[in-house]
Amino acid sequence: MMKWRSLAPIGLGMALLLAACSSNTSVSQNNSSTPQQPAAATEGGTLVVAAPVEPDTLDSQKSTWLDNTNSQSYDSFLSRDMQGKLVPHLAESWEVSDDGKVWTLKLRQDVKFHSGAPLTAEAAKASIERFAEISPVKDLAGPIEKVEAADAHTVKVTFKEPFAPFANMLLGTFITPLDPERLKEKGDQFGEAPSATGPFMNPEIKRGASVTYVKNPDYKWGHVYADNPGAPYVDKIMFRFLKDDDTRILEFKKGTIHVLQEVPTTYVPELQAIPGVKIETNMEQGMKYLGFNNKKDVFKDVRVKQAIAMAVDREPIVQYALSGFAKPIFGPLPPTIPGHSEKIENMAKEMYGYNVEKAKQLLAEAGYTDSNGDGIVEKDGKPFSLELLLMDDPVLQRVAQILQNQLKEIGLDIKIAVTDAATVKDRAIKGNHELFLLYFGLNDPDILFLLMETNNSKRVHYSDPKVDELLTKGRTTLNEEERMKVYEEAMELLVKNPPWVPLYVTESVTATRNIEGYKINPFTGDILFGDIKITK
Amino acid sequence: MHRYLFRRLLSLLGTLLGVTILIFLLVQLIPGDPVQYLLGDYPTEEAIAAMNAQLGLDQPWIMRYFSFLGKLLQGDLGTSYITGITVWQEIEDRFPITLQLALYSIILATVIGIVVGMIAAVKQNTWVDRLVVFFSLLGISAPGFWIALFLIWIFAYQLSIFPISGYDGFYSLVLPSITLALGGAGMIARMTRSSMLDVIKQEYMRTAQAKGAPRTSVILMHGLQNAIIPVMTLIGLEFGSLLAGAIVTETVFSLQGLGSLAIEAIGKRDLPTIQGIVFFAAVLFALTNLLVDLLYTLFDPRIKYE
Repeated sequence: MMKWRSLAPIGLGMALLLAACSSNTSVSQNNSSTPQQPAAATEGGTLVVAAPVEPDTLDSQKSTWLDNTNSQSYDSFLSRDMQGKLVPHLAESWEVSDDGKVWTLKLRQDVKFHSGAPLTAEAAKASIERFAEISPVKDLAGPIEKVEAADAHTVKVTFKEPFAPFANMLLGTFITPLDPERLKEKGDQFGEAPSATGPFMNPEIKRGASVTYVKNPDYKWGHVYADNPGAPYVDKIMFRFLKDDDTRILEFKKGTIHVLQEVPTTYVPELQAIPGVKIETNMEQGMKYLGFNNKKDVFKDVRVKQAIAMAVDREPIVQYALSGFAKPIFGPLPPTIPGHSEKIENMAKEMYGYNVEKAKQLLAEAGYTDSNGDGIVEKDGKPFSLELLLMDDPVLQRVAQILQNQLKEIGLDIKIAVTDAATVKDRAIKGNHELFLLYFGLNDPDILFLLMETNNSKRVHYSDPKVDELLTKGRTTLNEEERMKVYEEAMELLVKNPPWVPLYVTESVTATRNIEGYKINPFTGDILFGDIKITK
Repeated sequence: MHRYLFRRLLSLLGTLLGVTILIFLLVQLIPGDPVQYLLGDYPTEEAIAAMNAQLGLDQPWIMRYFSFLGKLLQGDLGTSYITGITVWQEIEDRFPITLQLALYSIILATVIGIVVGMIAAVKQNTWVDRLVVFFSLLGISAPGFWIALFLIWIFAYQLSIFPISGYDGFYSLVLPSITLALGGAGMIARMTRSSMLDVIKQEYMRTAQAKGAPRTSVILMHGLQNAIIPVMTLIGLEFGSLLAGAIVTETVFSLQGLGSLAIEAIGKRDLPTIQGIVFFAAVLFALTNLLVDLLYTLFDPRIKYE
C-alpha cells in the first residue's frame, strides 16, 4: 500500500500531461475537419527555407562551397536548362577560339546591379580577376592568363592552355559579376553586404541562425527555363540553419517552414501524410563509393579489388540504408554528370554484378583461402581483415554495417571505424587508411582528373599513366563530342582496374509545404525561388 | 583579505598559463587541419603550401604557441581562419545568449534545488522525500537532448506556448533554460538534502527549537545558513560550466551561443576560434569559483581569508 501511494502523484502527473496533449490534438482535429478551401496562391510574403549547411561567407569568391543559400545575390554567366543543354544567362552568347585558348562572352545589355548601375564588361573583368586572385578554389577555373574588356559588353578570357572545364565554372556563381562600387567600399569584407545582379539582395545575416534576403524588384533577367524570369513573387526569402534533425522536422510539421531540404529518408512517410506537403526528389551530381587505398600492397592485386566489388549487393543497401531514395551505380560517373556513358555503366554492371561464388574464386586465385574453417580467409596464415573508415553520418553507418555483412560472405573481416569528416579526409590524404566510404560531387567529368590523376589522387591514391594521359587530354579537348569519347576511354580503364566500388547516387529529398511552383534544376542544383508562390 | 585575493589572482594566472599550454597541445592532437577545410576538396600542392605559409602553420608548433601567447598578453585572441572575423568579435556575438541562458538556468536550478532539497530533508523518509530523490535522480541522469525534445514536443509543438527553436528574446529561452536547469536542480537538491540532514542532527538545532523559536525560522536561519556552503560550491561549478556554452541544448534549440560556435569551430578545425573559446571559458570558470570562495565569508563568518 505504501508503495502504491508514493507512486500516485506520478501517475496523476502523467495523466494530466496526457490529457493536456490529447485535448489539444482533438482541438486541432476539429479545426482541420472544417472544410478548408485551398487558399489561392498569392504574391508577397516571406518564404522560409530550412537549409542544410550554414555558409561560411556570402562572398562567393571566398567560399569553397556554393549552394542556394549563398548564391541568391548572384547570377551566373551561363546555365544548363532542365535537359542539361548549355544555355545563356548573363552572357547572351559565348564562343571559344579555334585553338581553345580564348573564351569570348557577350553580356546582356539590360542587366543592372542592385545599386541600379548597369552591368559592364569592366565590372565582369574585375570580378573574374578577383576570383583568379583570391578564391580558395581558383585552380578549378584553370590556367587563366588574362581577362580583357573588348568593348562595353564583351569580355575575353585568355588561357595559357585550353581548359574545357571552364564552361562548368561559368554555370556557377564562383565567377560572377560583383558590384564594383560595393567591392571598392567593402573590399575583403564584401561577404558582409554582397551586391551583384541576382534575384534577391540586401541579405540580413544572423550568424548561426539565418540569412534573409529581400527580392530584387527590378529583376528581369531570370533563367531562360524559369516560368518567371522577372522579379520573384515572394517579398523575402529566409534561410534558417537548424542543425538538429528532430527540431527541423518538428518546425516543419508545425508549419513554420515552407521548404525543408535534405529530409532524412526515414521521415518521408510521416511528412507525406500532412496535407499541403509535397515530397520532391533530386538526384545528386555525385555518388557515394567504397574506396580502396590503391597504394596499399593488398590492393595491388586487381583480383582482390574485383572480388570485393562482386561481393557488394547494392539493392539491400539502397532499400535498407536509404529507404529506396537512391539509385545503384556501377560505373565511374552518375547520369547527372556530363560524360556519363550507358555503355560503360553496362560494362561495369556486367563485370561486377553481385556474384559471391566468382568473388570467392577470385580471392582463392589471389591466394586467400579459409584453411582453418572460421569463415575468414587467410593468406600466408594471416586472416584477411581490413578497416573500413567512414564519417559519423547515420546513413553511411547503416551502409557500413550492410557492407560488413556482405563482405563476410566472401570471408573478408571488416572492422568499422567511425570518426568525424575532417579526420576521414585527413587520414585519406595521408594514405593512412585501407577501405573507406566517401562521396564526391561536381558537375563536370573533370572530377575524374581531380580524383584519379596520379598527382591529384588524394583519396584513392590511384596511378595509371594511361589514365593520366586520357584525363589530361579531357581537360584540353574543347569539342564536346570528342571530349566525351576521351572520358569513355578513360572510364573503361577505371572499370577494368577499379580504384573503388561505386555504390549509389543519392536522391536528395526536399519537403515543401503550402507553396506552389517549386522546381530544382538537376544539372545545376539551383532551386528557382523566383517561381515560388506561397499558398497559405 | 587583500593579501588572500592577491595570492588567489596570482595562482589564477598560473592556472590560465597551464590552460593555454593544454589547449594548444590538445588542438595539435586533433587529426585534420584547417587548410584541408579552407581549400575545399581538390586543392593543388602549391595552394596547400601557400595557405600553410599564409596562416603561419608551416612554423613549428612551439613558435606558434609563443606567438599565440604573445598576442594573448595583448588581449588579442586571434582571427578566425574561416570567417576572417576576430575571435573576440565572434565571442561577443555569441556570448549574450549563453550568458542569459546560464543565468536563467542557474537561478531556476538554485531555487528549485534548494527548496525541494530542504523539504526533502525536513520530511526525511516520507513519500515526499522519496519523490524528491527519485525526480532529482531523473533530472541528473536524463540526457539533455531527451529532456529538450520532450519539452519542445509538449510546450512548443502541442500547446504552442513557446517557439520550437531559434532565438527571439526571453520567451525563446524558457524551454532551453528549463532543460539546463533540471540537471542542475537535481544535483543541488541532493546536495541540499544531505547537507541539511547533517545540520538537522546538530545540537544547536535542538537548542533553537527548545528555546521556542518558530520551526521555519529554525530551518532557515539555523539550518540552511549552516548547510549552504557545499551547495554554493556546487552552484558555482555548475554556473561556471554553463557559461562555457551548452552544446547539446544549443543545437537542439538552434540557439547561436558559445556552444554552437565551439562545435562548428571544431568541425572545421578553426584553431584560433577553438583556442579562444576554450580560453575564454576557462577564465570565466576560474573567476566564478573565486567569487564563490569569497562569498563563503558572507554566509559563514567563521570562514576568514588571511
